[in-house]
Amino acid sequence: MTRAKGSTFLLAVVLFIASLVIIIASIASGPRLLNPFRMDRETSQMLLAIRLPRTAIALLMGGALGASGAILQGIFRNPLVDPYILGISSGASLFASFGLMFGLALFSLSVPILAFIGAIVTGAVVVILGRGWKGLQPERLLLAGVGIGFFLSAVLMLVMTTSGDDGLKRAILWMSGDLSMVDWDLFPAGLFFVLIGFGLGLSRRHGLNALTLGDEIAYSLGFDPTRERLFLFVAASLMTAAAVSVGGVVGFVGLVVPHIVRRHVGSDASVVLPLSVVAGGTMLCLADAIARTVAAPLELPAGVIVALIGSPYFIFLLGKGKISD
Amino acid sequence: MADMKRVILSLLLLAGWNEAALSSPPPPPQRIVSLAPALTETLFSIGLGDRIAGVTNDCDRPKEARRKPKIGGMANPSLEAIVSLKPDMVVMTNDGNPKVISDRLARLGIKTYIFKSRRLAEIPDGIREMGQALGAGPASEHLAGNIETALHDIALLPDGNNASEAVLGGGRKTLFVLWTSPLIVAGPGTIVDDAMKIAGLSNIASDAGVAYPRFSVETVIERQPDLILIGKMSDDMKTASKGFLASVNGLKAVKKGRICFMGDALYRPGPRIPEGMKELIRCGKMP
Repeated sequence: MTRAKGSTFLLAVVLFIASLVIIIASIASGPRLLNPFRMDRETSQMLLAIRLPRTAIALLMGGALGASGAILQGIFRNPLVDPYILGISSGASLFASFGLMFGLALFSLSVPILAFIGAIVTGAVVVILGRGWKGLQPERLLLAGVGIGFFLSAVLMLVMTTSGDDGLKRAILWMSGDLSMVDWDLFPAGLFFVLIGFGLGLSRRHGLNALTLGDEIAYSLGFDPTRERLFLFVAASLMTAAAVSVGGVVGFVGLVVPHIVRRHVGSDASVVLPLSVVAGGTMLCLADAIARTVAAPLELPAGVIVALIGSPYFIFLLGKGKISD
Repeated sequence: MADMKRVILSLLLLAGWNEAALSSPPPPPQRIVSLAPALTETLFSIGLGDRIAGVTNDCDRPKEARRKPKIGGMANPSLEAIVSLKPDMVVMTNDGNPKVISDRLARLGIKTYIFKSRRLAEIPDGIREMGQALGAGPASEHLAGNIETALHDIALLPDGNNASEAVLGGGRKTLFVLWTSPLIVAGPGTIVDDAMKIAGLSNIASDAGVAYPRFSVETVIERQPDLILIGKMSDDMKTASKGFLASVNGLKAVKKGRICFMGDALYRPGPRIPEGMKELIRCGKMP
């Protein structure tokens, strides 16, 4: 192991341990502080049926968003890209809101399933529109995503304005990343798609590294940029779709986490991807713990907390000149 | 043989015990959590105040409700706060509490009662049914009867004609404002709309297609309401509505000062409905 690799490994271990401590502390915090050594029936029910599923979903979602942000920033060579800029969240929100507002929520999983379908369909449309005569070009893909995203958001606003149903408030909460009602039953399917997406992304890590150097260099290194971009885009879309479908729209994690990780460990995708999962998961887990604790018993949306804490930190990094692509 | 006897005896005992358990009604819930302000008011009104273990942050009536432990908002209550109160029944409504909450509570093994009445005429029966479910049948019957009588008295003259229409000179064109920026008004299918009909007022937003539509100020001006009722969503509604009233100052209702700031009784389908109706009639009769 070289010296640089050794220090990266050490840093990764430190980050991992710090995450573990934060996760355990967040599981304990809430309207009632849980003491693992003194559990009564209510406390253990609270832990097993409410807090652990929330934590698990937060880790899954945050991890998926962190990794897909890292992949997308790499393939677009643009530090401002996040998993939602490609319209994926708008597609998911629109479909999920139909479910929430028009009573299509017949069974408990119908909203997540609708959100997943919305996200995947949007991702597919963006890819089709993003294919220029030179293959899958980043600029075209980005513009297609932004355009579709704006269109779908407008349709969503239209639907929300003309709807007076009670689902509206729930839909708004869903769109601001509310984890207060999540349950274990969302976890297996979410985990399945996140793992597929992450596996696919990780298997193309060398392609991702090559793409960040530019298409010509990627070619000369033996990678077909269009093919690599397509695989990586599918990987990021699967992770984003799964994340949105389990807990709604949580912004900012996918944007800021890759920056924080790259700042510490450099830009090698084999390190950045796994660490973005850990950092993203931990960030959302912490945000959700704060969301259920600060104004207890009022539940605040975790997505709002992420942005409230994350934005000043992001601006601080920007001010120090620590953000680069 | 002795063993056989013992088995049969114990089976019989078991059967008898089961029958006894089935025939006696389950004990009424002793720790109730209410997820809506109107339900909290109703529970207090039918004498179940002592059994309320928790309420939402919005439950502010009667005064005693404010001292009850809080479980969060109507749309986003804290499941943990509910569980920690150890309720044996959570009462909620399908008008303001999302369905996902009852699903989650059911999976946590907590019983729920869902109040389903959404129209004015359905409220008395809704209260009766809820009272039965909570073991307060007579008190809820009494409250429901009072509301029915009050609605009946308001709606009908002794000769059976629609009182208010006679009193008010026939369907004054009325706008009921819930919020002014954006303009949200009471549309069709709402308790407010039902109450307006009974009071003989004609809701200018009754064709909006949505219960609480975002309404166009131009349409308000075009439809010339004779009366503007402003609901109390928050205490500073008078300040909040200044801009809106300025933008429609050409209307007869504004020129003649027929602007009425109402309380929250009509927003809460519970014991204060008659009070809300009286307030509506009073506003409807403004000179």
